[in-house]
Amino acid sequence: MGLKAYLYDIWEAVATTAKGMRITARYGMDPRETITLEYPEERWEPSERFRGFLYNDIKKCTSCTLCVRVCPVDCISLEAVRGADKKMVLASYDIDIGRCMYCGLCVEVCPPKSLKHTSGYEKASVDRGGLILHFVHEDAGEIKARVAKQVAEAAAKAEAEKAAKAAEEPSASGATPDDGSNEAPAGQPASPPAAAVNPARGGAAEKTPAEGAKEEGGKPEEPPKKGGVETP
Amino acid sequence: MKSHAEALPTQEMLINMGPQHPSTHGVLRVILRTDGEVVVNAKPDVGYLHRALEKIGERVTYAQYMPFTDRLDYLASMNCNAAWAWTVEKLAGIEVPERAEYIRVIVCELNRISSHLIAFGSFTADMGAFTPFLYAIRERERINDLFEDICGNRLTYNYVRIGGVSADLPDRFLEKTKEFLDYFEPKVPEYNKLISYNKIFVHRLANVAVATPEDAVGYGLTGPNLRGSGVPFDLRKNEPYSVYPKFDFDVCVGTGERGTLGDCFDRYMVRINEMKESVKILRQAIAQIPEGPVMAKVPRMFKPPVGEVYFRAENPRGETGIYLISDGTVNPYRLKIRAPSFVTMNIFEKITKGLMIADVVAVIGSFDIILPEIDR
Amino acid sequence: MLESLAISIVNAVPVLSGVPLWTITLLIMVVVAAIVLTFAMVYSGLATYVERKVAGDIQARVGPNRVGPVGLLQFLADGIKLLLKEDIIPAKADRFLFVLAPYLVFVGSFAAFVVVPFGVGLIASDLNIGIYYVMAITSLVVVGVMLAGWSSNNKWALLGGMRAAAQIVSYEIPVGMALLPAVLIAGSLSLQDIVRSQGGLFGIFGWNLFHNPFTFFSFFLYYVAALAETNRTPFDIPEAESELVSGYHVEYSGIRFAFFFLAEYGDMFIVSALAAACFLGGWHVPFLDAEALPAAWGNLFSLGVFLTKTLGLVLVMMWIRWTLPRLRVDQLMRMAWKYLVPLTFFNLLGVSLWLLLFHGKGIPQMMASFIG
Repeated sequence: MGLKAYLYDIWEAVATTAKGMRITARYGMDPRETITLEYPEERWEPSERFRGFLYNDIKKCTSCTLCVRVCPVDCISLEAVRGADKKMVLASYDIDIGRCMYCGLCVEVCPPKSLKHTSGYEKASVDRGGLILHFVHEDAGEIKARVAKQVAEAAAKAEAEKAAKAAEEPSASGATPDDGSNEAPAGQPASPPAAAVNPARGGAAEKTPAEGAKEEGGKPEEPPKKGGVETP
Repeated sequence: MKSHAEALPTQEMLINMGPQHPSTHGVLRVILRTDGEVVVNAKPDVGYLHRALEKIGERVTYAQYMPFTDRLDYLASMNCNAAWAWTVEKLAGIEVPERAEYIRVIVCELNRISSHLIAFGSFTADMGAFTPFLYAIRERERINDLFEDICGNRLTYNYVRIGGVSADLPDRFLEKTKEFLDYFEPKVPEYNKLISYNKIFVHRLANVAVATPEDAVGYGLTGPNLRGSGVPFDLRKNEPYSVYPKFDFDVCVGTGERGTLGDCFDRYMVRINEMKESVKILRQAIAQIPEGPVMAKVPRMFKPPVGEVYFRAENPRGETGIYLISDGTVNPYRLKIRAPSFVTMNIFEKITKGLMIADVVAVIGSFDIILPEIDR
Repeated sequence: MLESLAISIVNAVPVLSGVPLWTITLLIMVVVAAIVLTFAMVYSGLATYVERKVAGDIQARVGPNRVGPVGLLQFLADGIKLLLKEDIIPAKADRFLFVLAPYLVFVGSFAAFVVVPFGVGLIASDLNIGIYYVMAITSLVVVGVMLAGWSSNNKWALLGGMRAAAQIVSYEIPVGMALLPAVLIAGSLSLQDIVRSQGGLFGIFGWNLFHNPFTFFSFFLYYVAALAETNRTPFDIPEAESELVSGYHVEYSGIRFAFFFLAEYGDMFIVSALAAACFLGGWHVPFLDAEALPAAWGNLFSLGVFLTKTLGLVLVMMWIRWTLPRLRVDQLMRMAWKYLVPLTFFNLLGVSLWLLLFHGKGIPQMMASFIG
């Protein structure tokens, strides 16, 4: 290595370093270049299509189970029973946002557009049960019992009407509606709630109806903040 | 007289680099046998992130697999999404509306820029300069903002669908993309000034871990790693798919400008230059994008015909090939993914012989491997 | 010096006349040591804060801003956290050496503060071998770093320790050679004498930096070599978090880790202080003679001047750190032996010849005598 190359080597090192340091100095000096968003105080506006936590408007939901079938990770669990007016009544609708990967496939397939992504993205829980969002706040067993009662009443009423209409034919009697999930005998309370609770709810304690009602009366547009379950 | 080696015998040292190590880009484990600082042998041990993505593919429907492709190469989700969609469309013979193809190209090229930004940033961080990494992240955030507008997520996009894309571009998206490109274009020369041609940086990379063109082809390197060895092979040009033939862009190859052809510096510079080419493609795509529908008619219970298909796409890390066998049901019968990072690891052992420990880090960085793709 | 101070105290306070003189001297020593140590600790703490702030600014971020006003108390929070952390000693480590190593590093770095000429009269101990003492005592760091690397029983730590030893030993030579011109000009090894020799000529032209072209280059050579000796980027290969995880202190946690950390910042101050004292005129400023001021004001003023110069150099070190990548170990050695050592020798020869030819006069001095 000749002297010229030796000195050029040194010069190159100094020059390129100086160039780089000029750039970092410019960024260091210019306060406008700071791009940090100081999160709890400042927030960015999530875009319109932001895929945050899921929210199901159960008033619109038709219990078609398309979302359950399309979910690649099976994080949605749904229970429904056929009501007296032949429409499906939701008994429970839970989304485990600990498993959800926010792919949005369920929102896309939802026919009544009741399932939506909200812009919510902040949630913390000390146990996994707290990460399950419950959209039906009443106990599934009670809903089932109530629906079964209604169905039975309707059936009884229909039967009574039938009986009144055709009193001469006493053989038409006592047919319960053909619904697989309704196993309770007509006119009696449903099977114990424990058997009806979806296993996906894990160790979550069951809620009293009063609690459920209270939360239902809360904010209708947002999913319940605490997931509606207290830890046992 | 005894020779030096006899008088002072040295012993080889076995070091585990990883799976938890700051510069193995995830959970790669490299079993190093070193003689002091000199690497005698470096054997990569993969599999710490195996999630059976191929097997999952046989258990879910074609549409349901789309979110899993996000997890294949999480720095280039859009490219993986699109590769899956193109594969299934090729299998089922679905005609995709032209606007949808343009949108796919736009998001793929944006994602290529963001992926190369991370490659550039993490590489410089591996070399000890942490600042360029944060500059790269800053630019990437703006791409993430664009993607959030378009699909609602910032990392796992799940935007492309079989037969099109999930939603049309939002209002002002193209203007915002143009603004980003105007902002981004002058940044590349700035990176070059800041770090690429820095004497120390060049010295660390030049002549290190040379993959000759023959080796590169022989070991199945693809993408920027192959082009870094001077082989001008780019699927977007050589085996054109989608609407890529309509765009005018150059294939960046390594030139050995600071050392030997195929060294770490060449691989690095290919990525830097490819960002510029992607900007070029994006500008053309924005100018040409037609109006029209963005989704073809695809039945909800999608059942492709019986058959098999292999499709390969030029992803930021190389050639992602998807081999798919359909038995006519809603689920694929067999799914095999050729992941570029995995194939790249083949040459690792060969070209790291005789390097120093610090160079092993440079090699990992210059290959721009990503572990979810290696382990799948 | 301390004895005379003790005598004057005894004279001023007659109550103390019964106490033996040596106890008072010892007491003064302890107080002075405590002051220096406190200064060093507070400086190191604040330097970590400034380092992070500088990094934040350069990287378009904010940096620490949560604890106290603009995050100023962050270093206290960090210190408390480190104190309260579990002290982990690896099971297979050499316990005695593992515990000893951080103290050696800490002592090696902080003992050097004793001879730093903070002001006209502000120097803990004006040793007549000042520079020699600094070079010797900071070499103690090598032993500590080696021990830390060896005793951790971790291969990464061992590699880091070996690298550090090779690096620090190699760079001692250019550092010493680059400092010698200042010694030659002043004709003394005492740092205070070296600073005094740079007075006059409007304060700034007396600086060794402008004495002659060789001293000018000597300053930069010293600064580069000193960067390497403190293991700072771009020469931070013993730590090299992307290669060696974090080098020799990889197994240390809690307060033992804090010692290494403080020592690094202490080292930065020491090498910057030496640069300021040997080349930038120490506490001399243009157009104002601190020694002519009343003692209290002169000391305060010169302290401010000296700290400004030193901390400025520390700031440049931080700026360099957040700009440059790091060298490889063989390149580092090549840089020391093929570039810095020959150049510093060449410079030393140049300065010696200059002093011989021009009878110890620098360019500004000659110009001054030429004009007036």
